[in-house]
Amino acid sequence: MTAREVTGESGETGELAPAEVPAAAVSAGGNGHVPAKEVVGFAGADQVWRRLSRRSMIVRPLTDLVRLLPLLAGLVVLHARTGGGLAWGIAAAVLAVITGLVHWATTRYLVTAERVYLRRGLLNQKTLSVARDRIRTVDVTAHLLHRVLGVCRVSIGTGRNDYRSGESFHLDGVTRSEAESLRRELLSPVRALAAAGHAVGTAPAPGQAAVADAAPAVDAAKAPVRAEIVRWRISWLRFAPLTMTGLVVLGVMFGAVVQVTNATDINLASTGPVQRVVADFAALDVLHRILVGGAVAFGGYVLVAMAGYIAVYWDFRLAERGADTLRVTRGLLSLRATTISRARLRGVEISEPLLLRAARGARCIAITTGLLVGRGAEREGSVLLPPAPRAVAWRVASAVLGLPEHVRTGPLVRHGPAARRRRYVRALALAALVVAAIWIVTWVQDGPGWVRFASLALLPAGALIAADRYRSLGHSLAGGWLVTRTGSFARRRAIISTDAIIGWRIHQTWFQRRQGLITLTATTAAGQQHYSVRDVPAVQGLAIAAEATSDLLVPFLREPPDRG
Amino acid sequence: MTTNSVAADSLLPGLRAPVNRVSRRAISYWTARAAVSGGSVILAEVLLAAVNGFPAIWRDAIVATAIVMVLHALIMPRWRYRVHRWEVTDQALYTRSGWFSVHWRIAPVSRIQTIDSHRSVGERIFGLANVTATTASAAGPVRIHGLDRAIADRLLDQLAVATGRTPGDAT
Repeated sequence: MTAREVTGESGETGELAPAEVPAAAVSAGGNGHVPAKEVVGFAGADQVWRRLSRRSMIVRPLTDLVRLLPLLAGLVVLHARTGGGLAWGIAAAVLAVITGLVHWATTRYLVTAERVYLRRGLLNQKTLSVARDRIRTVDVTAHLLHRVLGVCRVSIGTGRNDYRSGESFHLDGVTRSEAESLRRELLSPVRALAAAGHAVGTAPAPGQAAVADAAPAVDAAKAPVRAEIVRWRISWLRFAPLTMTGLVVLGVMFGAVVQVTNATDINLASTGPVQRVVADFAALDVLHRILVGGAVAFGGYVLVAMAGYIAVYWDFRLAERGADTLRVTRGLLSLRATTISRARLRGVEISEPLLLRAARGARCIAITTGLLVGRGAEREGSVLLPPAPRAVAWRVASAVLGLPEHVRTGPLVRHGPAARRRRYVRALALAALVVAAIWIVTWVQDGPGWVRFASLALLPAGALIAADRYRSLGHSLAGGWLVTRTGSFARRRAIISTDAIIGWRIHQTWFQRRQGLITLTATTAAGQQHYSVRDVPAVQGLAIAAEATSDLLVPFLREPPDRG
Repeated sequence: MTTNSVAADSLLPGLRAPVNRVSRRAISYWTARAAVSGGSVILAEVLLAAVNGFPAIWRDAIVATAIVMVLHALIMPRWRYRVHRWEVTDQALYTRSGWFSVHWRIAPVSRIQTIDSHRSVGERIFGLANVTATTASAAGPVRIHGLDRAIADRLLDQLAVATGRTPGDAT
């Protein structure tokens, strides 16, 4: 296995580095006259360089142009008098078309029995390769334009986390049927491939029906093709306004409006309808202003949040595909299908932001290698369940991990009085600091006195947060699963397999030392890369670490914990 | 195991401290580094004050900063030297670092993916090097600062041999 790792050859560049391409493969692709259509679907075709769909030549320029639209509009308006705007627009369009052509002409990919190669670039030609046994996830997305043209984008996820730009492994613009067969081909275990011989190569003629027919042939020996774990319900829409997603959508919309008005020199505030609304609003008295303003803001927020939820999670489905892959499909306008290799699933994270928790809701995120969390679009890829009832989240967690009952429902171990005191001290100290700042500012600026007294409310609020934070704090270790829960505004419970733990960090501040607490962090290659048991009593923390990975920590303990 | 014979970690009694200290020259290096960063902060303050015509409040602020920086440069390196320790066994790399806050890190040798050593200009002046071992976890790099150069080289070899013995990287 190590022989195949590029890691061994080129140090820090990791497994996705440009690598030696087999000589045979290069000569096969060298003539460059292999039409993509013929390649798909023949036995032995996996030794030939394939191309993206011709339709990707249209997708690329159009996406680029849409992205440039505000700028182009600005240029056209700016140069309207001189007539230069049109020339700029044409130049940009021509450039976009040319890049689209070049992108299609220079991008090729090759799937061999052991590796997947991707070659692209005109001047700086670059070959990326990834070992097939390192592929964790295959993510198929299709935004609106893709869907119109019947193509999609395939991203291949490996365990590597520090992608530099231009090194991520994706194919933008393959036909839907090709994406489907790629997905199945790349995620079928290598050993099964060897046994099945050319079974994979003989797969599909284009078209969804053919794909569905071909699927059982590949997964034949395994479990039923699809067992649906969970499906979206319209009633879950009630959770939409309870997470931050709505605010993010609002932010994006606001940004877009600002960008367009800046680029086009149109002052929104001076247009007729806006002025009329402002004038009507100004005519109201204070109480009405507050009521109307509040109602409009609240209603608008709820609508936007729900629209965002529907756009992203419409028709969300989580299903088992064969014994060892999970499949998530969702989306209203942009479709997204993520396939997660079950062997790479190391755990799940159940997050309950404060409001969502109040409504007995929760979200569920996969902790897996190859899909990062907390990094924009990648995060979206690892969603196992959108905001939904808590019971459903629990069901999903146990279904995907095969969790024993006691891990799922067993109580968490509390961290004791010192941890509780620390929660209160930190929350109250912060609140006191803010209050002091407010008092100083109002005193220096001669501000209104009621602000000072109102600010005192921060202290009990801080205490409430501290109490809730302590209530959330806990951990458990049973049956090979480490469970840890922290947070108040964003409470998260991470459940990770102890097999996935590849190191420990123990952190102790000077204050923690005086209270005999430590923060124990398990490092792992999956998800957020590190999961912490926060402010746990030192003895208890070391015992967890020793029990979870006995051979790793025990040599460094003063006394083995199981003695006596 | 003869773990009982080893002295407890004075900072965290459940653990035993890693065996090796870093080079004593690290104290001078950390002092020099603290002096340079402290000096540049004070220089920036002096420049700002000069622009505003040296009001009294600025003078007091500069004196206060200078006192803090001098104390930091005197106390931090010695404190740090007492905390920083490291150890390599056949199974794991074990380090302790920090000063006000202390970190212990344990990475199994079998999970180490890359090992590299780095010498900044400052470290080269003092004949020091640091060694970093990364694992498949982006949160898991273990870094040993302030090593004697010769020891760092030997450590690199030792880790390279040890990691070569075990296949796989647990991703």
